[in-house]
Amino acid sequence: MDKVLAILIANIITNNYILFKFMGLCPFLGVSKQTKPAISMGLAVIFVLLISGIMTWIIYAYVILPFHIEYMRTVVFILIIASSVQFIEMMILKVSPVLYKALGIYLPLITTNCIVLGVTVINTEDFFAAGKPIAWSFAYSVLQVFAAGLGFMLVLLLMSGIRERLALTDTPESLDGLPIAFIVASIMGLAFMGLLGIK
Amino acid sequence: MKKLWREFIKGIWTENPIFFIVLGLCPTLAVSTSVNNAVGMGVAVIFVLVCSNVIISMMRNIIPDKIRIPCYIVVIASFVGIVEMAMKAYAPALDKALGVYVPLIVVNCIILGRAEAFASKNPVIASLIDGLGMGVGFFLALFVISAVREVLGSGKFAGFAIPVTFEPAAILVLAPGALLVLGLLMGGIRWIKSLRS
Amino acid sequence: MADKYIVSSSPHFVGKESIPSIMWTVNIALLPAGIIGIAVFGKAGFWLVAACILTAMATEYVIQKGRRQPITVSDGSAFMTGLLLAFNLPAYCPLWVGAFGSFFAIAICKQAFGGLGRNIFNPALAGRAFLMAAWPKYLTVFNKPFVYDAVTQATPLGLLKEGKAHSVVDMGLTYWDLFLGNKSGCLGEVCIFALLLGGIYLLYKKIITWHIPISFILTVAVFTQIFKGDYLFNILSGGLVLGAVFMATDYVTSPITKIGQVIFGVLCGLLTSVIRIWGGYPEGVCYAILIANATVPLIDRFVKPRRYGVGI
Repeated sequence: MDKVLAILIANIITNNYILFKFMGLCPFLGVSKQTKPAISMGLAVIFVLLISGIMTWIIYAYVILPFHIEYMRTVVFILIIASSVQFIEMMILKVSPVLYKALGIYLPLITTNCIVLGVTVINTEDFFAAGKPIAWSFAYSVLQVFAAGLGFMLVLLLMSGIRERLALTDTPESLDGLPIAFIVASIMGLAFMGLLGIK
Repeated sequence: MKKLWREFIKGIWTENPIFFIVLGLCPTLAVSTSVNNAVGMGVAVIFVLVCSNVIISMMRNIIPDKIRIPCYIVVIASFVGIVEMAMKAYAPALDKALGVYVPLIVVNCIILGRAEAFASKNPVIASLIDGLGMGVGFFLALFVISAVREVLGSGKFAGFAIPVTFEPAAILVLAPGALLVLGLLMGGIRWIKSLRS
Repeated sequence: MADKYIVSSSPHFVGKESIPSIMWTVNIALLPAGIIGIAVFGKAGFWLVAACILTAMATEYVIQKGRRQPITVSDGSAFMTGLLLAFNLPAYCPLWVGAFGSFFAIAICKQAFGGLGRNIFNPALAGRAFLMAAWPKYLTVFNKPFVYDAVTQATPLGLLKEGKAHSVVDMGLTYWDLFLGNKSGCLGEVCIFALLLGGIYLLYKKIITWHIPISFILTVAVFTQIFKGDYLFNILSGGLVLGAVFMATDYVTSPITKIGQVIFGVLCGLLTSVIRIWGGYPEGVCYAILIANATVPLIDRFVKPRRYGVGI
């Protein structure tokens, strides 16, 4: 139970993937100008993270480790991610054209979103030891990808609200746009650090 | 020759991948806590960028248009695999310091971006120069950011203590400090650029 | 009436309040707490306040001059930022640390966003969080009250967090000590009585409303009573009253609607309680308000003011 809580808090807040690990910054800066697309992007990322988290765990535990091809991890993972993104895109198009309209343009971008590759690689380091999955490894991995996605969405949402407001103000010209967004992210990170060490 | 020089120089200043195009931020921010890490990451990225640009440019007429992105990613991922193995074998300390950010070079947007925007349309030599220019531009930007953070944040340069008369601000080696330094440097560089024009 | 009615685009009716009058009223309301803070910790506190205020005003002046904007240093807002920052620091913290925090607050957290009214985060609190991450050793050492020398003593909340004391009696204090300011802590937060006096003055002057302070303090009281069992201690210690009355109520960084303000206050209270009860730091008011500041645009977006004449 403690570990579950620790994973949730670390991934959502104190080790937030955007603010503290800088993963997923490109889509973060790209789609955080307005709230609506930010929500869609957040949902799409959570979705892709869950599917790729499950797929990479299975392949890593049952193919890569037994055959001792750990050096293929990066290539295999990125292929899994790219193909699951493709698969999700086709599936959503078939099942719900409405949802496809909302998420469609964001899905291809997620392939090169470092958060997906990042979390799945970190999973293999956190929840595998000596070439074997640790106890509850699969459940922890799924929880970790889910929490990472939630944290991504939380910060994306907060940022979109702030940037909508910033669009109306007169920031000095050379700080306008991205530099001020970085400064906001920096102060947000400082604030989130207040929750460090929660137990 | 002049054209090639221009391809090289554009990556360093006018189209600097970090300060103006704003790509490849994830490794930039994460590993710039010390100059040593930054140099390691910069060299790794230059290697992957040049090699993948050359290979993709060679194969630009063979790769079918529809599946080009997965093809590029496989080429890039293979070179990253080489870097990973080499680093584990010859520089284990660096490998440990850079951690997950080494495999993440695969999804560094600079590399895929240059493959898509340049190498897939240009001959091999030009692509090589383009990759080199962009790589060096990335390297220099990373170097500047890491130097600022290490000197002001921990009072050292490349691991060596420097004689300082101020108290280093620990925030600069923490994550929020990285975002702050990047934001301010980016604003400063834009300001210099606006003064010139 | 005639001079208040201006034929132009809205607003047509201009009240007596202006930005300078509001800011200086708040500064006056902060005065009692400042005087008692200096009385408790000695002249080091005075120099810290002076350094913070002067740096804040100088920074604002230089930036506005550089950007060729009207100089608004006399409107009292930079003064207030410096004063509030000093209130949130230990009295014996080095002057250059306070000055750096003031510079960060004004230059990065206020002017970089476009100046007064445009900032997202409360500048004084962001300055404090910056100092906490930059030079933590100067912000985590507190001094004994009424000694007028650098004799250190942990704050009541610090003692509680480290498990060195479990009740007010353990600390050798009474609730009156906590209320009147006979305890260690940040410069401006120690005397709850003076802070409440200032708060009542602001309520009377209609500068603030009850919504944020009450919902903030009440949430902390309920939460800490449930999990720690001493609500009064939690209200009277740390920066809760200072934060709830003077910093969470900042117009620019709090929601517009009353419902939004209550949501904001409750969020601040929840985060403060979570940090105090389970977090790594003994006190969480500063971080709680900063995190809540980040949610304000979203709160304002989803809790919209009722349009005049539509619905009830």
